[in-house]
Amino acid sequence: MEFRPTLVAFLCNWCSYTGADLAGTSRLHYAPNIRIIRIMCSGRIEPTFVLKAFQQGADGVLICGCHPGDCHYQEGNYKCLRRYKLIQKYTQQMGIEKERLRLEWISASEGKQFAELVNDMTKTLLQVGPSKVKGTLEVEHLKK
Amino acid sequence: MSVRLQPELRNQLIQFGIGDWNACYHCGTCTAICPLSEKGFLFPRNKIRLMQMGVKDELETSVEPWLCYYCGDCTKSCPRDANPGELMMSLRRYLTSKYDWTGLSRKFYTSGVWELGFILVFAALVVIAFLFLLPAYGFKFTTELTAQGGVQVNAFAPWEYIEIFDWSMAAVVALLLISNILRMYYKIIWKDGKTTVSIWTHIREFWLLIYNFVVQPRFSKCEDKNYWLSHWFLMSGYTIMFIVIVVYLEWFQTDEILPFWHPQRTLGYYATFGLLFGLFVAIIGRIRKKRIKFQFSHVSDWLFLIMLTLTVITGILIHIFRINGMAWATYISYIAHMAILVPMILIEVPFSKWSHLAYRPFAVYFQQLKKHAVPRKSNQ
Amino acid sequence: MEEPRIGVYICWCGTNIAKMVDVEAVASEVSSMPHVVLAKNYKYMCSDPGQELIIKDIKVHNLNRVIVAACSPRIHELTFRTACEKAGINPYLFEMANIREQDSWVHTDRSEATKKAIDLVIAAIRRVRFHEALEKRSVSVNPATLVIGGGIAGMTASLEIAASGKQVYLVEKADHLGGMVAQLDLTFPHLSSAQQIIHPLIQRVKNNPNIKVFLNTQIQQVHGYIGNFNTTILQNGNESVEIEFGNIIAAVGLKPFDPVVIPEYGYKKIPDVVTSVEFEQMLLSGLIQTSEGKDPRNVAIIHCVGSRNKKFHEYCSRVCCMTALKYVHQIRAALPDANIFEVYADMRAYGKGHEEFYAHTTHKQIIFLMFDQQTGLPRIRKAGAADKCNIIIEMDELLSGISIEVPVDMVVLMTNMEAHDDVKEVVRSIGVSLCGNQFFIEKHPKLDPVATTTGGVYIVGGCQGPKDIPDSVSQARAAAARILATIAQESVPVEVTTAQVNELLCCGCQTCVRVCPYSAVSYDESKKSSVVNEVLCKGCGTCGAACPAGAIKCKHFTDSQILAEIEGIMSLSYKY
Repeated sequence: MEFRPTLVAFLCNWCSYTGADLAGTSRLHYAPNIRIIRIMCSGRIEPTFVLKAFQQGADGVLICGCHPGDCHYQEGNYKCLRRYKLIQKYTQQMGIEKERLRLEWISASEGKQFAELVNDMTKTLLQVGPSKVKGTLEVEHLKK
Repeated sequence: MSVRLQPELRNQLIQFGIGDWNACYHCGTCTAICPLSEKGFLFPRNKIRLMQMGVKDELETSVEPWLCYYCGDCTKSCPRDANPGELMMSLRRYLTSKYDWTGLSRKFYTSGVWELGFILVFAALVVIAFLFLLPAYGFKFTTELTAQGGVQVNAFAPWEYIEIFDWSMAAVVALLLISNILRMYYKIIWKDGKTTVSIWTHIREFWLLIYNFVVQPRFSKCEDKNYWLSHWFLMSGYTIMFIVIVVYLEWFQTDEILPFWHPQRTLGYYATFGLLFGLFVAIIGRIRKKRIKFQFSHVSDWLFLIMLTLTVITGILIHIFRINGMAWATYISYIAHMAILVPMILIEVPFSKWSHLAYRPFAVYFQQLKKHAVPRKSNQ
Repeated sequence: MEEPRIGVYICWCGTNIAKMVDVEAVASEVSSMPHVVLAKNYKYMCSDPGQELIIKDIKVHNLNRVIVAACSPRIHELTFRTACEKAGINPYLFEMANIREQDSWVHTDRSEATKKAIDLVIAAIRRVRFHEALEKRSVSVNPATLVIGGGIAGMTASLEIAASGKQVYLVEKADHLGGMVAQLDLTFPHLSSAQQIIHPLIQRVKNNPNIKVFLNTQIQQVHGYIGNFNTTILQNGNESVEIEFGNIIAAVGLKPFDPVVIPEYGYKKIPDVVTSVEFEQMLLSGLIQTSEGKDPRNVAIIHCVGSRNKKFHEYCSRVCCMTALKYVHQIRAALPDANIFEVYADMRAYGKGHEEFYAHTTHKQIIFLMFDQQTGLPRIRKAGAADKCNIIIEMDELLSGISIEVPVDMVVLMTNMEAHDDVKEVVRSIGVSLCGNQFFIEKHPKLDPVATTTGGVYIVGGCQGPKDIPDSVSQARAAAARILATIAQESVPVEVTTAQVNELLCCGCQTCVRVCPYSAVSYDESKKSSVVNEVLCKGCGTCGAACPAGAIKCKHFTDSQILAEIEGIMSLSYKY
């Protein structure tokens, strides 16, 4: 069967989620393989969320926050950026290709950029192929 | 090359009857609805634009104003009441003044005093000629009638002399018209300096000139066919009258009263009918203002109609008085006829509204030449 | 925890969703899931009958969790939460799935869109099981208001609030009140005097005992939250004043664009090329003259300077077209014989009386010349000795299709209105955000263009986007009404989705204390644990993500809720 990459996206409520909504109101079309999860701030992203997404079968994970300086909570996106660098290192050591995890800034007015980003990442994932870690990860402490 | 705008051109154009052209906001409805506008020769919108901006050269070298026959569809459909039809009419007046090298046309169009003054001076000269000049050569009024009981017109106004005068007047008018048409040709075909037209094209397309003069096919393209008919009657009546008077006066101005069905009389009657019918339609139209083309009358429009009507009426009177043997009435009518006719021909034909009888067919001819124009080779 | 009893509702949104998503299939697919009591689809869930349906079902079927799959939660989450509350269940036991903005409107393959909708609803079902009832909280409101900016919008809002007897602190960074309007001569479209509008207003503000005006003053970082803000303001650069207030109105306005950056226009290089602001000064002085002290014979007014062009600003400044037409009347009155050229890209006359004003002005013997704002900006050059004019404008005129040169003696540049240079500092100090054009972003572009996403902070006038006087005044009065309503209530609801520390799990590392941008987390030595001040906490969740011990719970965005959502969100696309 043809490979259809699954993309899980974490979008902050104030900028990126609103930007994704704007793509909808502007009727911009993009690949339907993306599944969006809303969080209040990109600073809320925990490594566990990313790992959980890969474990559940995501071929790629996308994190979007406000542009630097525009964070609704002043600096959550900076904290996200620092955490992202660490997660990126960690997932690579686990054998997850670098291209599968991406952090981008999308503002509330960038519906077009969001649609382009989704298509672009989908294209990248098609080239990289299916994720090899599907179903092989268990995140123990969260079972509670 | 960019064109320098001449905002002061507006003040000149206003004198030719152009109203508030800023009303136009260039939707292009007029050009879309015009039955005569065609690719390469679009109007009226783009000409209005040139007028608004004051682009003198482009205006003076355009042939399009003459291709418009003023059906009024554009004015009817204009959403801004900018009256494109009348703007084109005014532009024709402006162009007529530009073709004329004497500068008189401009004076006549822009000043009623000048035009009326000229008419009165020429009328006075005609009257003086009849009262003093012809009697000095031995021709005088006589109440003595012919055997048929008609008035001896030739005794008072001998056809030989009148014809010589007609010929010289025709020559002056022709000279003026031809020189103006040459200027028109220069402006429309040569001035842009980018294209050239071969001699063969000039010859091949020449038939269009005659065809357009006689049939006026473009006129009939406008939706209002009735007006084409009345205008055609007017034009043909005028042309017939012009030819018989200027070329065949010996045959036309006889003392003998010819039978009713003689061509001299039937042709005369036809021409008179044609003129009267055309004039009637035009005058009633301008008074009732129902047709768009008749809604806005420049001074020159009325002056032309009134003079032509008076000429026809005095002509009819001469005929009636002559065959009924009313000598004095005939002579007075004859003098009045000439006093109106001479200034009318001298002013209207080369300088004013009537010049369109020459410019219009030539414009169609020039348009055809422009269609066959090829880019000019650089002078290397 | 009680057994979850979930009701799922799929909205058609007319054809907006139903056209691209098989709503029947979504409902039937999820109806058999554990804990799902019922799954229904309905034409308009947000309509009164739609909400009634939820309320009735909650009562009849004893539901304790509700999911609506419809538009974005940013639009109707509050609607459905209120419906749940009416039916007697806690509003936070509700969850929304966005199958319109992020599904039916962005995809073209119906089966893919339906699959995605099912995934999103399953994720919501999984998530909602972990939802907890949260109690609403409210705080008292300080009746004073801080207004930043003393232009027409700020002054109008101040007077409106002060009229009810409440204290207003009006802070203006310049040494005088009046803003942009004070620099204008006449206003469009009625040609009434701007000075006669603004000066009485300034007097009323100055004489109002409830308004304290601070000139030459800039605000510092504002602390606190809706109802209870405080800050220190620096008057004249040194005197600091402590003020406390419950609400904030930002009315900082805009400033004119500097056309020096457009090389084609030669501003500041060619004499007699002036901006609209400088031209207003000329009109106020009553003398329209060239730099040589002569009456200009031809005047050109160039529109859209710095507007509607990606190189400068993409937006339209909204007021310049009408101002440019206003100049026609003023020039015509002063110089009856002058030729006036309106060099424009598009004529915009959207407001009340504006189209009529345009139509009326076109009859003032002016010449409109159209240029291409993207590729054909007019080029201005100094005229030569033989030209008989001061300036020559070269342009490709669109309506005639020819290249022209316009000889003029004066050029007025209709400059764009743009954000102040220090706007970023202002937004940061009051905790709001800017949109792409550096305008303050409103809470909702249509339904709430006065409020911001920060509670208690309102935006009025030009800083929200260029606007004319009536629009600024309406917005100012609207903001004042909103603030007076909260003052009248004496208390406002605050964020309930805050963070909470589980003192038993907290190891006392204080990472959370360091990451909190609002200083809402502190370390309690006696408890040997961090504690969250729930009044200060805005619920961003950064501390929760940072806590190495997993001791911080971010209410409504808990780990278990988000992880459950992740588990559900790929149900159809990947199962193992």
